[in-house]
Amino acid sequence: MTDIALKAKGITKYFYDPVKFPALKNIDLEVNKGEFVSIVGKSGCGKSTLLYVLSTMDTDYEGELLINGTMVTGKSLNDLAAIRNGSIGFVFQFHYLLPDFSCLKNVMIPALRLGKLSPKEIEAKAYEKLKMFGVEEQALKKANKLSGGQQQRVAIARALINDPAIIMGDEPTGNLDSKNTGVVFDLFQQLSKEFGQTLVTVTHDEDFAKRSDRIIVMADGEVQSHGR
Amino acid sequence: MKLSVNTEIALTYLSARKKQTAVAAMGVMFGISMFIFMQSLMKGTNDYFEQQSFNTMPHIHIYSENKLANTHLMDNYLKDSSLKLLVNPKMVPQPTGLINPVGIIEVIKHDSEVVAVTPQVTANVFYNSGNIQLNGVVVGVNIIEENKMFDLKNDMVMGSLDDLEKISNGIVIGKGIADKLSLHVGDIITLAAATGGTQTMRIVGIFSTTIMQTDNSKSYANIAQVQTLLGKNRSYVTDIMVNIKDYNRAPAVAKKLATITGYKAEDWVQANESLKAAFKIRAVILNSVIGVILLVAGFGIYNILNMTIYEKIKEIAILKAIGFSGPSVTSIFLQQAIYIGIMGGIVGIGVGFGLTYMVSRIYIGAGSLKYLPMSFYVPHYIEAVLFGILTTIAAGYFPARKASKVDPVSIIRG
Ligand SMILES: Nc1ncnc2c1ncn2[C@@H]1O[C@H](COP(=O)(O)OP(=O)(O)O)[C@@H](O)[C@H]1O
Ligand SMILES: [Mg+2]
Repeated sequence: MTDIALKAKGITKYFYDPVKFPALKNIDLEVNKGEFVSIVGKSGCGKSTLLYVLSTMDTDYEGELLINGTMVTGKSLNDLAAIRNGSIGFVFQFHYLLPDFSCLKNVMIPALRLGKLSPKEIEAKAYEKLKMFGVEEQALKKANKLSGGQQQRVAIARALINDPAIIMGDEPTGNLDSKNTGVVFDLFQQLSKEFGQTLVTVTHDEDFAKRSDRIIVMADGEVQSHGR
Repeated sequence: MKLSVNTEIALTYLSARKKQTAVAAMGVMFGISMFIFMQSLMKGTNDYFEQQSFNTMPHIHIYSENKLANTHLMDNYLKDSSLKLLVNPKMVPQPTGLINPVGIIEVIKHDSEVVAVTPQVTANVFYNSGNIQLNGVVVGVNIIEENKMFDLKNDMVMGSLDDLEKISNGIVIGKGIADKLSLHVGDIITLAAATGGTQTMRIVGIFSTTIMQTDNSKSYANIAQVQTLLGKNRSYVTDIMVNIKDYNRAPAVAKKLATITGYKAEDWVQANESLKAAFKIRAVILNSVIGVILLVAGFGIYNILNMTIYEKIKEIAILKAIGFSGPSVTSIFLQQAIYIGIMGGIVGIGVGFGLTYMVSRIYIGAGSLKYLPMSFYVPHYIEAVLFGILTTIAAGYFPARKASKVDPVSIIRG
C-alpha cells in the first residue's frame, strides 16, 4: 500500500470553445493520505477544471491519474461511477442538491446507492451528519426550501455520508458565514487528523487556506507552488 | 418493504409531476381499454355469427355431387390409359339420393368425434295457396334429432315446432312465405314437387331467422312426408347432417367422412367462406385502430420522459457525480415509464371490462339478437397487458438511454 491518496502525472486539458486553449498544462501533483490541502489561485486559472479531473468525473484529459495507488485513467465510466460512489465525496461550487427530495434523502442517496448499510442505519447516519452542520431541523424539508448556506451544509453532509477516502470541495464554504465556515473547517481538520481522510479544497478564503496543511498555488493552468 | 434507491428516485420523480404522469397513464389506459373493448366486440360478434350459422347449418354436410365423366373403367378393361377416349368430358348427373343411407349413418355414428347425425330429404317445391305460387325448398327432417342439432326453436315466431311430431302432414314455414301467401298457423298449404307429386299440408309453425332468403323460401316437414311427395321410398335420403365435438376440427373430420362414405362432405368453413373473409377483414381494421391508439399512448410516455429528462438534466448530472452509473440512470427513467404503464394498464383493464359489460347490456332487439354479443375472454386481457407493457418499455427506452449518456461535468461546469 502507498501513502499517496492522489497522484496526477502530466495532466493536460484543452478546451476547444471558442478556440483550442490549454486550461491545465502538464500538472504533476501528489496528495498524501490524511492530508488537508487547499488549492488557491486567481479566478479562471483552472482550479475547478483540475478538481473535475481529480474527481474522475472528467475523463477528457491527457496524463495519468492514480487514486490510492490505482490507475483510474482509462477505466470505464461505470467503474469510475463506482469509485466516486464509494471513495470520493464531492462538494460542488454551487451546492446542487436534488430539489424534489428532502434534505435527509439527499444525504442518504449516495449511501443507498452504495448499499453497504441498511436504510435504517443510513438514516441514522445521515441525521448525525446533518446535526454536525446544524441543519438537522431542516432534515424533512424539501431541499429547494432552504437558504443557500443551509443547502451548502447539506451538500457537505452528503459528501461525507459514505466516509470517503478523499473529499473534494470546490469552494465548499463560499456561501457560508464566518461562524459556519469555522464549523466546516474544524470538521474537515478532524476528518483528516482523526479519521485519516484526505481533503482537497479549492478556496478563496485566505484564512481557511492558511490553516490547512498545505497550500497549492495555481496560475494560468499550471501549479506555481506545491507548498512544500 | 425495501425499495431500491433507483425505484425510490423514479417514484419521487413521478409524484413530483402528478399531472403529466396522470395524462401519460391515461393515454395507456385508453389504449388498453380500447384494445379490450374492440377485441371483445370482435370476438363476440364473430362467435355470434358462427353460432348463428350453426342454427341452420351443420358442422359437416354430406351429399351426392355430380361427377365429371371419366374413363377409368374402360382404361382398366383395355389395360391402356394412354388412349384419350374422352376429349371433352361432361358432368354426369348422379342420383340425388344416397345409396344405403342407413348404413352410412351407422358408420358415421361410430366415429368418436361425432356427436349428432341426422338424415334429410330436400326437395325443390312450389308453395301453392289460392292462385299464388312461390318456389322454395322443403326439408324433410326427423324433428327430434333436428332439434338436437340446430337451434330451430329459437327462431320460431308462431306455432310450435313440436307439433310436427303429432301432425304427420304438418309443416313449419318461413315468415317470408307466410307473409307473401298470407298464411297463418292452422292454414292449409299445397306443395308441388318438380317431379310432379303434390301434398297438402297443415301449417303448424312459422319461423324467422336473420337471413331473409331463408325466411322467403324454406320450410320444414316430416321426412316421410317429403319422401312421399317425391314418390320415393322410406330409405330415400338426400343429405346427412353431422355435428362434431369441436367444430374447429370440421375440415379434418369432413375429409375423413368423405373417404369413408364416398360422397362429398362439406365442412362449415368451406360453406361459409365469405363469413370467414369478413372476420379477417374486420380483424385487420380493428387491429390497425388498436395499433394507432397504442402508438399514441407510447408517444405520450415518450414525451413526458423526454420533458422530465430535459428539466432534470442537472439532477441527472449530480446523480452521476455522486456515483450513479449509466445503467442505474437508465433504470430510473425506464422504471418511470413502466410505472406509468402499470397504472394505465390496471385502470385500462377495469375500464375495458366496464365498457364491454355496459355495451353487452345495450338492448338492440334485431331478430333473434337481443343484446350486442360481447365476449369476456381472459386472453384478451392478458394480451392487452402484454401490449401495454411492450409499448411503455419501447417508449421509455430511448429517453432513458439518452439520460444515461448525460456527461456530468459538462452540465455541472455550466
Ligand atoms: N466549458 C468550457 N469551455 C471552454 N472554456 C472553459 C470551460 N470551462 C472553463 N473554461 C475556461 O477554462 C479556464 C479555467 O476555468 P475554471 O477551471 O473554471 O477556473 P477557476 O475554477 O480557477 O476559476 C477558464 O479560462 C475558463 O474560461
Ligand atoms: Mg471555479
